[in-house]
Parts: sequence; C-alpha cells; structure tokens
Amino acid sequence: MGGHWLARWRHIVLCGWRWSQAGFLTRAGERVEPFLRPWWSGTGGAERGLRRLGTSGRPSLSRDLTLQPPRRPKSTNPFTRAQEENWRRRNKTVLTYVAAAAVGMLGASYAAVPLYRLYCQTTGLGGSAVAGHTSDQIESMVPIKDRIIKVTFNADVHASLQWNFRPQQTEVYVVPGETALAFYKAKNPTDKPVIGISTYNVVPFEAGQYFNKIQCFCFEEQRLNPQEEVDMPVFFYIDPEFAEDPRMVNVDLITLSYTFFEAKEGHKLPVPGYN
Amino acid sequence: MSTAMNFGTKSFQPRPPDKGSFPLDHFGECKSFKEKFMKCLRDNNFENALCRNESKEYLECRMERQLMAQEPLEKLGFRDLIDGKPEAKDKC
Repeated sequence: MGGHWLARWRHIVLCGWRWSQAGFLTRAGERVEPFLRPWWSGTGGAERGLRRLGTSGRPSLSRDLTLQPPRRPKSTNPFTRAQEENWRRRNKTVLTYVAAAAVGMLGASYAAVPLYRLYCQTTGLGGSAVAGHTSDQIESMVPIKDRIIKVTFNADVHASLQWNFRPQQTEVYVVPGETALAFYKAKNPTDKPVIGISTYNVVPFEAGQYFNKIQCFCFEEQRLNPQEEVDMPVFFYIDPEFAEDPRMVNVDLITLSYTFFEAKEGHKLPVPGYN
Repeated sequence: MSTAMNFGTKSFQPRPPDKGSFPLDHFGECKSFKEKFMKCLRDNNFENALCRNESKEYLECRMERQLMAQEPLEKLGFRDLIDGKPEAKDKC
C-alpha cells in the first residue's frame, strides 16, 4: 500500500505536465516497458514498474482487476478524484430519479384508463363530449325560430332481416330547441315472429352531438309478429347550442339514418353508454 | 361501422335515448293520432312547428295507454302548448 502511494507520488513528480492523460500513460507504459525490464530484476519488478507508470486505466493484470474498484476515476489527482466521485454519485442519484419518473409516467398512463372511467361515472358525463342533457334542459330551452333545419330520414335493413322498414315522411323542418316527432313504419311479411334491433347514425358527424333523442325505438329488441305492421316513433330535438356553434353555420341538413338488424340468440348489439 | 382502415377519423358514437325506447304499439291504439299528425305534416309542408299540437296529442295517447312512461308535458318541451291551451280556451 505504501509502495503504491510512493509510486503514485513519483509519477506525479516525474510526469507532472501529463499526469491527467491516462491514455497517454498507458501508451507511455507500453513504450517504456522494454527499457524498464532490464532495470528491475525479474518479472515481478517489471510488473511493478508497469503498474507504477500506468496505474490508471490499465486492466492488463487479472490480479489488478479483482483488487481495483469496478469503475476507476478518470483523474489520478486525489483532489479532483473526490470531486469526480461526488459528481458520479450525484449523477447516479439523478439517473435513479429520472428512471423512477419514467417508470411512474408509464404506470400512470396505464392507470389513467380505469381512473377516467371512474371519473366519468361519478360526474355522470358517460363518455359524451357534451355535458349530459337532462329533462330540465328540455323544459327550459327556447326554440330558435330563425334557424330552420331540414331533417331527412333514411331507413336501412340488414340483408338477413326481411322486414319492410321505411320512414313515413321524407323530411321534417325543425328549429333548434323544439321537440319534434317523426315516424317510421316496419312490417314483417314473413310467417314467423322476428326480433329486430336497430341502431342509428346522424350525418353530418359534427351535428350528431347536438342531435338528442328523447325517446325512440333503437337499441332494444323489437318483436314483430307474422304479418304485423307497426308505427315506430322517434321523439327528438336539436340542442339550442347548435345555433351558437361556429362550425355549424353552414349546416342546414341533418340526416337521421336507422338500420335494423336481426337479433339472434347470443348476439349482443353493443349498447352505447358506460357499462 | 366502416370497413375502411381509417383509424384516425372519428367515428360516430350513438347515444342511448334519454327516456329509453318506445314500446311497440302492436294493437295500433294510437294510430288515429298518428294519422292526424301525418296529415298535418303533409298539409303544412312538413313543418314541425305547426304540428306540435298533434304530436302532443299523440304522446298523450301513448301515455294513457301505457305505451310510454308518464311525463309532465313541460319535460317533453310542450310548455308553451300547455300555457297556450287555457289562454285559447279563454279566448273562445
């Protein structure tokens, strides 16, 4: 240990102007080594000499590797080495914090899904972009008489369903804030009772969020007996905020489209809403 | 439901109706009211604002026959018609 220290002191004095260059030292050690060999008697001396000249950054001897720490500081000056180790320690802590933050973010992004669902259930928004429309809103809404919108109706049937399904009026002129009634008609021409279930679509897409149905015949199974014909009403209104949306300025036509499917055993039409 | 692979576009999210689904009128109990409403629409060039009385009567028929949950008419947006009726009666 003392010899080690002595060697280090000596090489600082001898190679003072190049003491920080560890790489230089290793190269210098390699170049000097053949000359050193005859000086020091035996191989042990040569190894000692090599060790003296190129202490830092020379993992050549396996014995040295086990003795030395896994990472050696780049500088050999004891004053800067302490600082370097301090930096290294601080870097390690910072790295740990950053890694923990990254893992935390990843975990938070996974946790966000059930948390958001919980939030929606408690606040009652239920996944809709616009706040829920309660019956109080219907009570207090005022029709905006100067904005007339034409609502056209479309009826579709899935290929496997043999009903005759069609709207009873092709269009209706409504204003936002006014409740309106419309009728569809469905007939089952077959000799067997058929259960159908329907869904709807509103075009244009942006206007769909203002289209509110108070009551209709969709999303529930409707059973038609053989040769039966029924009227299916739709009671709806267009939100008065439609008139204040700048994106809806050019929208004068809304198309409501219903499609009927056959309800089969075990098939479940995904009913909208959080469940 | 589109078959094209457009994942980026927004898709329409159907919302359930506020008051659920109308039970089917299998026996046609309110058919006459419906016919009155349709006739009114056809006469008035399909303007809904002029046929609101008939639509109110149709819904009242449904409520009476248990084909619709009982609701005060204000909650269905017919507040002006309820107020208007006694006034009209007074005028008559």
